[in-house]
Amino acid sequence: MTVLDFIIAGLKAIVILVAVIQVVPVMIYVERKVAALIQDRPGPNRVGPFGLLQPVADALKFLLKEDPIPLYTHRLLYTLAPFLSLIPACLVIAALPIADKAILFGKEITIQISDLDVSLIYVLAIGSLGVYGILFGGWASNNKYSLIGALRSASQMVSYELPLGLAAVGAVMVFGTFSLREMVLQQEGTLLGVLPNWGIFYQPIGFLIFLVASFAETNRLPFDLPESEAELVAGFHTEYGSMKFATFFMAEYMNLATMSGLMTVIYFGGWHLPWVTDAQLLELLGSQNLLCLIQVGTYIFKVSVFMFLYVLIRWTLPRFRFDQLLTLSWGSLIPIGLLNIVVSAILMYVLGGK
Amino acid sequence: MKEAVFTFFSLFTLLTAAGVVLSRNVIYSAFNLVLCFFGLATLYLLWGATFISMVQILIYAGAIVVLFVFVVMLLNFEKPNERKTRLPIILLSSAGVWTFALILLRVLSKSVGEIPVLETTARASVRTVSKLLFSQYLWPFEVLTVFLLALIVGIFVLARPEGEEVK
Repeated sequence: MTVLDFIIAGLKAIVILVAVIQVVPVMIYVERKVAALIQDRPGPNRVGPFGLLQPVADALKFLLKEDPIPLYTHRLLYTLAPFLSLIPACLVIAALPIADKAILFGKEITIQISDLDVSLIYVLAIGSLGVYGILFGGWASNNKYSLIGALRSASQMVSYELPLGLAAVGAVMVFGTFSLREMVLQQEGTLLGVLPNWGIFYQPIGFLIFLVASFAETNRLPFDLPESEAELVAGFHTEYGSMKFATFFMAEYMNLATMSGLMTVIYFGGWHLPWVTDAQLLELLGSQNLLCLIQVGTYIFKVSVFMFLYVLIRWTLPRFRFDQLLTLSWGSLIPIGLLNIVVSAILMYVLGGK
Repeated sequence: MKEAVFTFFSLFTLLTAAGVVLSRNVIYSAFNLVLCFFGLATLYLLWGATFISMVQILIYAGAIVVLFVFVVMLLNFEKPNERKTRLPIILLSSAGVWTFALILLRVLSKSVGEIPVLETTARASVRTVSKLLFSQYLWPFEVLTVFLLALIVGIFVLARPEGEEVK
């Protein structure tokens, strides 16, 4: 690796990370507006046109508020916990392939921070570490509501990592690779001439399991039992205020973006437009960089659709009870996931290849 | 460059491992354990074994230690235990430590100078590992899985309240 490569890698990491963090203010706005829409009220409309500057006001409020550390907490872990949940959320982004490649300064640059050969396992492994932030945060707060929230989150995350992994195994079998970039490259073109050649048509059941499990992994309603404000005040972050609370919040939205990105990449063709191959588009546009922009746009659009789905479901479905949540995972998702693997294997053997 | 990174993470792994044993608070022990697994995963990465390194994080740091912490949080370990160890326990544990040290010494003395071998075989990580696992080491692998299953069933039977029928 030359010095230039190092600089390019560093710049890529910074640019992509900063771009993905912008998800947070956008999501704050979308979440509040959609909630208002569903509950038939105007929502934020005072700060700026259509209340668009509301996230800025929120961020300022978080930054300027006093940052107290309650007595009787375990100071070190209490302070560390928000970062323990934010850092894995940021690290995971490194493996997501956002677009194919751009040509800048005479160099081919892939729009992905790092193309690991086991990027799918990387995402699952690092993503599963986010639970420590919640666990230690809940424990260090020295508050029984926080502790209950933390314990719930631990058992929930461990139970739902299994179906998530099992669903991913199905996709790995179909594509024959652990690399997310390879997966996207294989999803170009059409299937049987009509459908786009996307993972969801090979693994429909796998996708459903993945979708349900991703709600639990990101602690979103209907599975947000670690917070469940009606029972636990605010769950694991009851004792947190100002920017520390906001850090937990950021981690949640970043995780949401990652999960949406994963589903886009594995099941919805990543940066590919349906029915058109990259070669055809390149011929039409005549420029690799323009094509890259379109790919980035496609990726962002697909991710946004999933994010919108998360928000819609949050405001329309009631919360599960905790035993129902665990039964759903161990009693139905995991058996279905295992069955999905067996059936896929048999089908792949009978049909040959995919 | 690579040596410097290797030295740093080796020291990191050793220090956090010491932290696991020496921490007075069990939660801090668990936290050190997570960091220690991270150090190990990084060492695997430096050897080029990306798959093993990721699985190390996924299984140990992502699942097993979470369950450790889960149990520790349910028990109240606020006060450090009183240091009153009895003679049989000291004898037993020292026997364990000496056996382990002997095994470690034997393994280390065998493997010195053989580390470059890892470099070549571990490259095509997933494929290499799975081929070895499902051909050459299939028998030990299956025996281990049955052993683990037996353990789970055993624990389930032991943990069941007295006199209750299995549903």
